[in-house]
Amino acid sequence: MGVRLKNVRKSFGTTQVVHDVSMDIPTGGFAVFVGPSGCGKSTLLRMIAGLEETSGGQIEIEDRDVTTVEPAKRGVAMVFQSYALYPHLSVFENMAFSLRLARAPKAEVTRTVGEAARILQLEEHLDKKPSQLSGGQRQRVAIGRAIVRQPKVFLFDEPLSNLDAELRVQMRLELTRLHRKIGATMIYVTHDQVEAMTLADKIFVLRDGIVQQAGSPLELYDDPDNRFVAGFIGSPAMNFFPVKVTADDGTYLTLTTLGAGNHGIRSVLKGARPEIGTELVAGIRPEHFELVDGGLPVRIEVAEELGDVSYLYSRMEDNTEVIVERHGSRDLLDGKMVGLSAQPEHVLIFDRSGQRLR
Amino acid sequence: MKSGTRLENGIITAFTLIVGLVWIFPLYWSFLTSVRSEENVVTEPGIVPDEFNLSSYVDALFNTKLLTWYFNSIGTAVIVTVVVLVISMMCAYAISQMQFPGRKLLYLVVLASFMVPAQALVVTQFILMNDLGLINTWAGIILPQLIVPVVIIVYKQFFDAVPKEMREAAVLDGGGEYTILFKVYLPLNWGITTALAIVTFIGVWNSFFWPFLVITSEDMMTIPVGITQVTDAFGIAYARLMAVAMLAALPVVLAYLVFQRRVTEAVMISSGVKG
Repeated sequence: MGVRLKNVRKSFGTTQVVHDVSMDIPTGGFAVFVGPSGCGKSTLLRMIAGLEETSGGQIEIEDRDVTTVEPAKRGVAMVFQSYALYPHLSVFENMAFSLRLARAPKAEVTRTVGEAARILQLEEHLDKKPSQLSGGQRQRVAIGRAIVRQPKVFLFDEPLSNLDAELRVQMRLELTRLHRKIGATMIYVTHDQVEAMTLADKIFVLRDGIVQQAGSPLELYDDPDNRFVAGFIGSPAMNFFPVKVTADDGTYLTLTTLGAGNHGIRSVLKGARPEIGTELVAGIRPEHFELVDGGLPVRIEVAEELGDVSYLYSRMEDNTEVIVERHGSRDLLDGKMVGLSAQPEHVLIFDRSGQRLR
Repeated sequence: MKSGTRLENGIITAFTLIVGLVWIFPLYWSFLTSVRSEENVVTEPGIVPDEFNLSSYVDALFNTKLLTWYFNSIGTAVIVTVVVLVISMMCAYAISQMQFPGRKLLYLVVLASFMVPAQALVVTQFILMNDLGLINTWAGIILPQLIVPVVIIVYKQFFDAVPKEMREAAVLDGGGEYTILFKVYLPLNWGITTALAIVTFIGVWNSFFWPFLVITSEDMMTIPVGITQVTDAFGIAYARLMAVAMLAALPVVLAYLVFQRRVTEAVMISSGVKG
């Protein structure tokens, strides 16, 4: 196993920020920790790096317990959000820093740094100082500095946050290529669910120091465990509105919207059945809405036309915001009333505590 | 900034010029005195240069222990500067970057010691140096001058400003604390190190009170203390006295001219004008 966490905890004083986190990341896997600010994802990464002590539990890297091992001896390398390049050293010396500290022979330093520079297309910049490089190049140097250490695990702490949108997309692609090329275990922290979806083999969604759900990007998107994950993964976010169970035929639940008239929608439920009259929350993704006559009525406030796709920012009768995604139509809909519907398998339901009913 | 009228600018320029002249006059007077003969200094005082006589400089160089005093001044100033910078840097690094019990208390002690005037410690320091048998030695001059809280405070301020990721990256690269300090933090703060070195050097070079107390042997004197001996040896020999003073100031003046920008920066930083 590349990285294994067993009931890892972290407290700052009396405040516990990571609660009994356990996870397995296979060797060569690309795991992404995603969650809102303050969810503990960076703290968890720093604990794996050894930059934060653990308050409890065990961290294993390649089946070796490293919980109390000092950072440099864990076989990890980290890429920071701010790049953390040494401004007084050239690109070559930045990348060679760890090798020089390890007193590696000169020939090995030249060869290893040269190889990393080749992979990252930095060969012509080796003599420059970090201040002479663009944001993307600096990020590549930071990655290069990690590569030369030949770590078992690469740790990335929001490495693309300081780049502009276009460069971020490009670097995302480069990271995916790099992962395929060197095949090392990678753990990546981000608050951007698009980065998480595009990079990860496995996403860990965190909230308040607890892993809410772990799985492949599409598992999390299609089959979220709770309302938080359903709302966090996907852009624009899933729409939620309160409903009441009015009928149950054993396969389909009939739900009636609360507060926004009494419009019926249906959902598929395989497991335990809620009682008739139970109040729940329904969740429907923007792309799963259909515009139909006689559907759930909403007034479109703003229609954003993006060419191939348009987003209809709408409100129900009780003012609940609903976002609808449409493809291919460019009709002007601002201010219009339309009816919405969705296929039962696309209507997810959650109990009052936010847990998904399947 | 809005520029003033021509009259306002003229008044400001004239005022600055007058203040400048008042400021430079003692230096000019000293130089003028040093290049006149002893007789002329006393009999025909004036502010207009009327002769250029270097005999006082020759006297100062060959009939006093000026070269010995130079050696003592340079030796003690260099040692104090190097040691002050190294220990202050290490102390500031520990307070700024490392986590250990009593860290805040240590910093408070440093701050508190900054508020104790050096003169208040003179008697106890003299007794201590005497007990240690260090009167009339370089160690006697050097040791009490090694604790300079302001250098620690300035370094801490600069180390605090270094992004913590820089240290963490170095930790992950396998650097120990000394490596991180000397290979990352010191080069990142080379500018302030140079500035602090110059200010410390000038301060030690000019220090008179402590060396005057701890040194009685003419062979161990630093230049500022040695100047007092010139007066004693020649009676009131103004020209020679001023020649020694000029020679004593020379290294500091040269250092200032070469590192003018850094010295100004250091003075502003250590006085809190600039952070």
